[in-house]
Amino acid sequence: MSHETNPLLIPLHVSYIQNLGKNKNDLIYHLTAHLRMNAIYWGLTALCTMNHREALDRDEMIDYVMSCWDEETGGFGAHPDHDAHILSTLSAIQILVTQDAIGRLDIDRVVKFILSLQQPSGVFAGDSFGEIDTRFSYIAVNALSLLGRLGDLDVEKTVSYIAQCRNFDGGFGSRIGAESHAGQVFVCCAALTILDRLDEIDTPTLSWWLAERQLPNGGLNGRPEKLEDVCYSFWVLASLSMLKKVHYIDSDKLISFILSAQDPEGGGIADRPGDMPDVFHTHFGIAGLSLLGYPGLVDIDPVYCMPAALIETLGLRKGWQSLERRMR
Amino acid sequence: MSQPTLYADRAEWSDVVPIEQYENTTPLAPIFYKNEYKDATNYFRGIAKTGEKSQRVLELTEHLIRLNPAHYTAWQYRYETLLAIGSNFEDELRLMDELAITHLKTYQVWHHRRLLMLKICKPARELDFIARTFKVDAKNYHTWSYRQWILAYFNDNELWSGELDFVEDLLYADIRNNSAWHHRFFTVFQSGVHDGEEDRERVLKRELIYVKQSISLVPNNASAWNYLRGLLEHNSIPYSRVISFIQPYTLSMDEQTADLVDLDNPPPSKGAHLPCALAIEFLADIYEAEGGDRMLNATELWKSLGNEYDVARKKYWEYRIREGLRAIQT
Repeated sequence: MSHETNPLLIPLHVSYIQNLGKNKNDLIYHLTAHLRMNAIYWGLTALCTMNHREALDRDEMIDYVMSCWDEETGGFGAHPDHDAHILSTLSAIQILVTQDAIGRLDIDRVVKFILSLQQPSGVFAGDSFGEIDTRFSYIAVNALSLLGRLGDLDVEKTVSYIAQCRNFDGGFGSRIGAESHAGQVFVCCAALTILDRLDEIDTPTLSWWLAERQLPNGGLNGRPEKLEDVCYSFWVLASLSMLKKVHYIDSDKLISFILSAQDPEGGGIADRPGDMPDVFHTHFGIAGLSLLGYPGLVDIDPVYCMPAALIETLGLRKGWQSLERRMR
Repeated sequence: MSQPTLYADRAEWSDVVPIEQYENTTPLAPIFYKNEYKDATNYFRGIAKTGEKSQRVLELTEHLIRLNPAHYTAWQYRYETLLAIGSNFEDELRLMDELAITHLKTYQVWHHRRLLMLKICKPARELDFIARTFKVDAKNYHTWSYRQWILAYFNDNELWSGELDFVEDLLYADIRNNSAWHHRFFTVFQSGVHDGEEDRERVLKRELIYVKQSISLVPNNASAWNYLRGLLEHNSIPYSRVISFIQPYTLSMDEQTADLVDLDNPPPSKGAHLPCALAIEFLADIYEAEGGDRMLNATELWKSLGNEYDVARKKYWEYRIREGLRAIQT
């Protein structure tokens, strides 16, 4: 198997993630403050998938999460002085659930914050600024589900908006009328999966559209005629996994592609071979490899993008399929 | 280039109490601020705390946004300030024109424009602006979504009337622009019936000719084939209706037989890469829909795809074959 010549450099990626906190590249660092909460979730989940959760300090992480609590709105910001946003709120919840620290959360208030973001049309806004996107619908559904409060959601309204985002090619966009995009396809599929409404998906057409994302170099793109990117290894694969069509992808070629995007010196994975790595692509590359059955990795739940065993313990596992874990 | 003067050193900001970054815990991601950014964010926190809404806040938020266009709190506060002090929204829009070009891939840039548009209500100008940004990046996802919103929200027939030409220009520049194909479908079939488009038979015919001609020009273009499929399905037309058009594309250049010019079925252009995998797949779908013995023809085509013409998706084709053979047996 060619993966022996170019294996997944787990120890290197673990230290890459640990070193993110010590990176002296100051300007990039604070310019990404608005992503800090997300970045910690990506880093933590990648470590869990590589079976090295202990590599980041749990208490420090929980303290950071709680320092981002926005008492006024009842949500989490990305960083202590940032306003609450649904993106960082989900990441905060995911981190706390993964770290078994959900007791730190004022669940009622968070649920209230999330529900307050639903628009009359059924879609969710990201914050009071009002930007709407099907990503936020997924985030709301995911978060409420993790908190055991899906019962508070107007499911029909939520599903109805997503259904209207279905395009002629079977895919889904960010809002009604928007072009199909693999990232948006993922969030719509995942939201519908959690709500048990996969009947809203034209599975044969969408599965084909997803299979079409694979390029001759093995990588996946996000829409026709665009470049391959490691993160689509997760968005596309997870979607196919939920539709039980993960075998539509040439897994050997995709595995090779993801592995070739690793930085063999400093660790981390980039969007494509030769580019600089970042924690976002590192996480989604490893998540993709896990779904592809790469040996030595821990199972990840494609719907929640969190450790599968944890989601199962919470009673939230849905009927998705991944490739069998290879022995070597 | 000289160092910008810090807010800390400017007399007109001396009444503001700057608030340093919260550093009570050892942050997981310790931050070493560059002075300019640190100073600006300190003063932003200072005025946000007092709730100040003034002209100098506009200056500060503009500065912050230029340094970091993804700072969503700064955008939010800026918008609230514009409202509070009764600013001229059109001036703001002109300022945003400059920022949008440099930061096309930032969500906030486009959302801010949307908010301004809700006040200004001059969509035609926006369509022109969007057209200009497409010269820089013709596939920008946010921009296309914004254009669709403008058209749908204002729903003005004059706005819609220019869209088809607009899309055709973009497709002429790049026939593989998936965003443009999507927008065409959106304009023609998913946004109601516009003035001049009431004769749906004529519209359908026009679209069929357009997509066939596009395929004739560049057969290996997934967007065009997806458009054809979408077109037929949306109008409840079976795929078999276009079998005469499809067939030449499933053959090699040597096997082409068209002597007569058939306007309804434009053949592959010279130099086209044949056979076209997307056409073979389409033909296989036609056979599969017929069922019975035709399923065997379909599996033959799928085999040719998996083995030769679309090897990247060999596994997918193997599954289609398996499922097809199973269907024959039942």
